[in-house]
Amino acid sequence: MNLKIISYLMPLSLLILFGCENKNKSNKRDGLTVYQEAQISWVRNFNPLSPAGSARWPTSSGIYEPLFIYNSMTGEYVPWLGLDYKWEKGNKVLKMLMRKGVKWSDGEPFSAEDVAFTFNIKRKHRALDTRDSWGYLKEVVAVSDTIVKFEFKRIYVPGFDALATQSIVAKHIWDKIDDPVKFSNPNPVGTGPFTEIIRFDSQLWELGKNPNYWQKGKPHINKLVFPTFPSNEQVTLALLSGNLDWAGAFIPAIDRVFVSKDTEHHKYWFPLTGHTTFLHTNTKDPILSDVRVRKAISYAIDRELVVKVGMYNYTEPAHVSGVSGPMSKWHSPYLDQAENWTTYDPGKANMLLDGAGFIKDETGLRYTTDGHILEFDIIIVSGWSDWIRSAQIVSQNLKNVGITAKVKTYDFGAWISRMQKGDFELAIGWAEKGTTPYALYRGMMSSEYLQPKGEIADVNWHRFGLASADSLFREYEQTSDKNEITEIIYELQHLFIEHAPSLPLFSEASWAECNTKYFSNFPSAENPYATLSPNYPPENLLVLVNVQNR
Amino acid sequence: MNHSLNYLLRRLGFYFIAAWAALTLNFFIPRLMPGDPAAIIFARFRGKLKPEAMNALRETFGLTDEPLLGQYWSYLKSILQGDLGISIAYFPEPVTSIISSALLWTIFLAGFSLIISFSLGTLLGTIIAWNRSGKLDSFLPPALAFIGAFPYFWLAMVALYIFGFELSWFPLGHAYGNDVTPGFNIPFILSALYHAALPALTMILVSLGGWMLSMRNIMITTLGTDYIAFAHAKGLSSRLIMLRYAARNAILPNFTGFGMALGFVLSGALLTEIIFSYPGQGYLLLQAVRAQDFPLMQGLFMTITFAVLAANWIVDILILFFDPRTRK
Repeated sequence: MNLKIISYLMPLSLLILFGCENKNKSNKRDGLTVYQEAQISWVRNFNPLSPAGSARWPTSSGIYEPLFIYNSMTGEYVPWLGLDYKWEKGNKVLKMLMRKGVKWSDGEPFSAEDVAFTFNIKRKHRALDTRDSWGYLKEVVAVSDTIVKFEFKRIYVPGFDALATQSIVAKHIWDKIDDPVKFSNPNPVGTGPFTEIIRFDSQLWELGKNPNYWQKGKPHINKLVFPTFPSNEQVTLALLSGNLDWAGAFIPAIDRVFVSKDTEHHKYWFPLTGHTTFLHTNTKDPILSDVRVRKAISYAIDRELVVKVGMYNYTEPAHVSGVSGPMSKWHSPYLDQAENWTTYDPGKANMLLDGAGFIKDETGLRYTTDGHILEFDIIIVSGWSDWIRSAQIVSQNLKNVGITAKVKTYDFGAWISRMQKGDFELAIGWAEKGTTPYALYRGMMSSEYLQPKGEIADVNWHRFGLASADSLFREYEQTSDKNEITEIIYELQHLFIEHAPSLPLFSEASWAECNTKYFSNFPSAENPYATLSPNYPPENLLVLVNVQNR
Repeated sequence: MNHSLNYLLRRLGFYFIAAWAALTLNFFIPRLMPGDPAAIIFARFRGKLKPEAMNALRETFGLTDEPLLGQYWSYLKSILQGDLGISIAYFPEPVTSIISSALLWTIFLAGFSLIISFSLGTLLGTIIAWNRSGKLDSFLPPALAFIGAFPYFWLAMVALYIFGFELSWFPLGHAYGNDVTPGFNIPFILSALYHAALPALTMILVSLGGWMLSMRNIMITTLGTDYIAFAHAKGLSSRLIMLRYAARNAILPNFTGFGMALGFVLSGALLTEIIFSYPGQGYLLLQAVRAQDFPLMQGLFMTITFAVLAANWIVDILILFFDPRTRK
């Protein structure tokens, strides 16, 4: 026994000695330590065009840069490599003016040629064209050193977003690459604020600043440091122990867990993104195809409670239009005349269900006209505990109006496959996101993506199409006039509210934490120059160039 | 001797068939999972990627509608050529390079803890069986059985929280410190040992009892046999009897167990690696399953299968060496 204790203590005491050695910490920190991707060991890939999204963060917006950055907090495009743009010839031609004096990190000048080259490489290798730009583009050419001309084969104004936020690569490097799809670009040459790979090991890599960066004096910090963190628990521990300066992670009960440990430096900001998490209703289900039933379900849900119990009060109940927060500027001025079916009103829900012919028996359960119990399954991804709790509240709420709803969890692969094939009744899920509500409403109501049950639909899982909305989408795609755009969005919004194709549940927030002990000038509610979360490229570029050493 | 060779060859033939069966299952089982890899990558963007991206993704990964049987033949062919394909989750990295770095860490961590746990457990088992009903014998078995009965992940998390987080005696994760450069140098090796200490300790702690108990029980049976009594009567020293006569025979079942455990090391360190963020095979397997990364999954299962088979073959040889009865 004694022997055993000693044999344990010997290595222990040695290790304690080693452990103490690492403890010397100064008040300065050279590198900003960031968590964005859950990985256990790093793979060297800096290909910003890679469709698999397997390049290290911040390749696409940090090492490389886009033409314009959409700032979700202001709802505006920030000129970046591009300075200005103009639609011409009835929106068939888009001309973009490039910034002068930008250099690649190897010292070569950047020009409109690089931009045209980037788009043409996607034309040649269709696997790279993840936003299907060549579905509407006819030709991209550099008219001069500073002007790029995009010619469209069909007018598609919303395509601007994909064009503007494309990361631009250097022609003089990439025209020598045979297969850009499988190119891992180990030593990137970019225009971004951080381009130099100082170190790349399986567990840690460091990205140093670009010596030729076009914004003089920026970035303020010398390097970014990326240790691997395989799980949220590890991220939380690192944040608590002060080893992490910036992270985009969901942390439950964050005030108690994280902030209370150091109220001065431990900060978080979970701003609303403007988008919404939905309770999807499969409109091909014979019962859910009745809009009265969908609205009744919506009235029955106590969203305040869902947000409190399911989401730690990090967000707020959804707006009936499906957009909120920074997207609220798109709310129609006639909303007070529209039905607000995201309010909690069980009485109204009961009334609608009675009216639709689903009668309550003496035990409080509702039955269909042919005598079956009125019941649905709510499917959720297993392990996504915030959504599971939310679904449990929804299930409770529905029980109060006589609907039986069971929460069922599936592995992610199985869940997504059911959603895509329309093999579900109710489910919590996300919806399409864009810079205007157009993307959301198109995903919600366009017949373009409508698939019969059993066929894979990548969007429009709830399977709802509306001809009157389709014509509005066509109109929207043709116009670059701000007033017209606004009018169309209002109309789409009223159509959405009238038909309730799917039910907004709660607003989406972005998760972000920072430690201000060594660094300052992170975005915050007081200084909302961008969203704090690193998970929204290219917006994270705004943070990268503005963060400073304390 | 001829007989032994025959025995080994026969075993080899059996392992060959087992390997083929495993490879075949390895190919078909992942494909029975619902969903496809492109859809999962698409879904990971949660609505930020437009549906038009799907075609580009499918094209990138070369996902084909070729009939399964055709895919199966090309799979067998490329495996024979040592080509495990390109990972989807870590596109465009070849599977072999991803596995090889993870494999080394797993062998280092789990292999060492297994060897320590096996040797220490067997030795303790021998000693307490020799001095049975001694103080050590009445204390160790129940104590270790008690510890071994805890769910492993819980024990590991408590250890990490107390010794890693609260007391800061051990690092919170990773295989080596961020201030050393990987390579053959003293600071790196020390750092790797330091980082492996806590996960290895937890693994040894839960597995020690099993080795010790099985060794103790067989040892006690062996000690009751006639030849041990005869050895005592001849006046041989107790040390000699304990180690050369009793333990040598009693260790045989433990060796078989060791062969099995060696195989499970490669997959079984999954929980340890997740809790201690250790960059080994187990965690990689989890990632591969989550991303439906068929090539990576197949590669991992294949390494695990081959390791189990190889370990068992080595045990066959060892037993041949230790147990003369198999040589007749």
